[in-house]
Amino acid sequence: MKQILTKSLDKFKSGLRWAWGHKLRVAVLGMVLAVVAPRPVKSQIIDPCCAILSFGLGTISGTLNRVIGGGLNNISSIDQGIQNFEQTTVWPQSLITQAQTLVGNIQGISTQIQSVIHTSVASATLPAPQQLEQNLLSADSSQISQTGAAYTAVYGSVPDATAAPSDVRNRIDMTDAAAQAAMKRAIEIDQLADLEIQAANQINQSIQSAAPGSAPIIEAQADAWLVRANAYTQAATADLMRVRAIDLANAGADVKTGATNTSNLGQQLMNILKRQ
Amino acid sequence: MTIAFFILFSWAMIKAKSQRQVIALSLGGAVAVMVVAPPSVHAQSLWAEIQAVLDAITGIIQTGLDSINTARTAISNSYQNVIWPTQLINQATAQVTQMIAQYQNPMRGILSTNLASATLPPVQQLESVMRNHQIGDFNTLVTNYANAYGPVPSATAASPADRAMTDMDDALTLDNLKTLKATDDTADLTLQAADQLESGASQSAPGSAPFLTATAVVASIQSQAVTQKMLAAELRQEATRLAHDNALRKQGATHTGEFGNQIINLLKRN
Repeated sequence: MKQILTKSLDKFKSGLRWAWGHKLRVAVLGMVLAVVAPRPVKSQIIDPCCAILSFGLGTISGTLNRVIGGGLNNISSIDQGIQNFEQTTVWPQSLITQAQTLVGNIQGISTQIQSVIHTSVASATLPAPQQLEQNLLSADSSQISQTGAAYTAVYGSVPDATAAPSDVRNRIDMTDAAAQAAMKRAIEIDQLADLEIQAANQINQSIQSAAPGSAPIIEAQADAWLVRANAYTQAATADLMRVRAIDLANAGADVKTGATNTSNLGQQLMNILKRQ
Repeated sequence: MTIAFFILFSWAMIKAKSQRQVIALSLGGAVAVMVVAPPSVHAQSLWAEIQAVLDAITGIIQTGLDSINTARTAISNSYQNVIWPTQLINQATAQVTQMIAQYQNPMRGILSTNLASATLPPVQQLESVMRNHQIGDFNTLVTNYANAYGPVPSATAASPADRAMTDMDDALTLDNLKTLKATDDTADLTLQAADQLESGASQSAPGSAPFLTATAVVASIQSQAVTQKMLAAELRQEATRLAHDNALRKQGATHTGEFGNQIINLLKRN
């Protein structure tokens, strides 16, 4: 231990001797150390930078409060105004609930309509008419294939070629065809109307649980169904017009046949008188 | 960085062998210190930094907030003055209320005007039951119809074809009279729904009205479906009338053929 201390003292002494001998170098090293050494933190009281910093931060804080705080307050105030306006004037919850309740009431009326419209109206008493009537009121398009046979059972078939002239047979066949087509169309339209009522009920139920923003989507779907319903109505009207057109054609054909028959009768009477 | 520089510089200074090297090292070190040493903070530059922050707040941030404020104010004004002006909303609901008072009762009165026109008792009864908008008295309708138009002929009074045809004619007529009683009832219900919807519209807000319009469209679909049911009934009726006329045509053709044969046979005998 003593040896180490003695060695250290010797080295220190030799260092001092070197420094004494190299004053310029020690001075340069001292200056460099003074320049690059880290500085201690300056005191707030005696350092003017801290006062400036404090004043600057205070000014920044005031400006933040005034400019950003004031601006945000203004925006918040406007947004609250918009929110109040939307909640009290545009989308008041009480009126939305009231409208949904009204939709429920309309649903009740729809259910009544559905019940009334499906009341049985069958009235035929004899077997063949009963079968045809059942077919016509079935509202089931899968039964259309049986309409022809039920129709023929009541109204008869087209006469044989030996029983009636070809023009009369053609007219009878066309009239039967138009009448049967109209009956078949009536079955289709009844079924379509039932499906429309079913879809309308589904849509109405979804309106009851909709939001003000989603109700217009459901309304768009309902509009599409209405357009479709109009097309079905047009299809039914078209067949009604066809039936009436055939009726008119028959009336015209009857006049034509009458004129021809009258002419033929006159000719035959002339021939008989000539022979006598 | 600074410590490494100082150690390196000290080592070089100690190892320098001549006065000239010491001077060169000193000059080099001075230049290096000027480049490497951190600049000292001056009060003037600190204030400039603070001023820069203040400028940013009062410049770009204030301008941004002012723009947002202006935009939100414009949106608010647009909502209240252009899109949903309270005055026009109140005006619209007031108009609905006014039109309800103007039209609903008078139109209801017009539609409920009594149209009965029959003069004889059995026909009056039939007409009354035909137009009563009820679906619970179909049996009465059938009875009153039979009183006015008679029953299907008995098997001894008419051919099977004629009996079937008259039964079908009566059936389709009664079917349609029953359907009309039902559709009269549904028309009343549809009018009830329309009245409720209109009344609801008079108390609605822009945000609740879409529920009512959607339901109104649904009611229109149902109304259209009922119209189709009526059209289907009319189709059946027209088709049956056509079929009836055609059946008579078939009978006429058959009878004409038979009549011609009989005349020919008579002439042959003579």
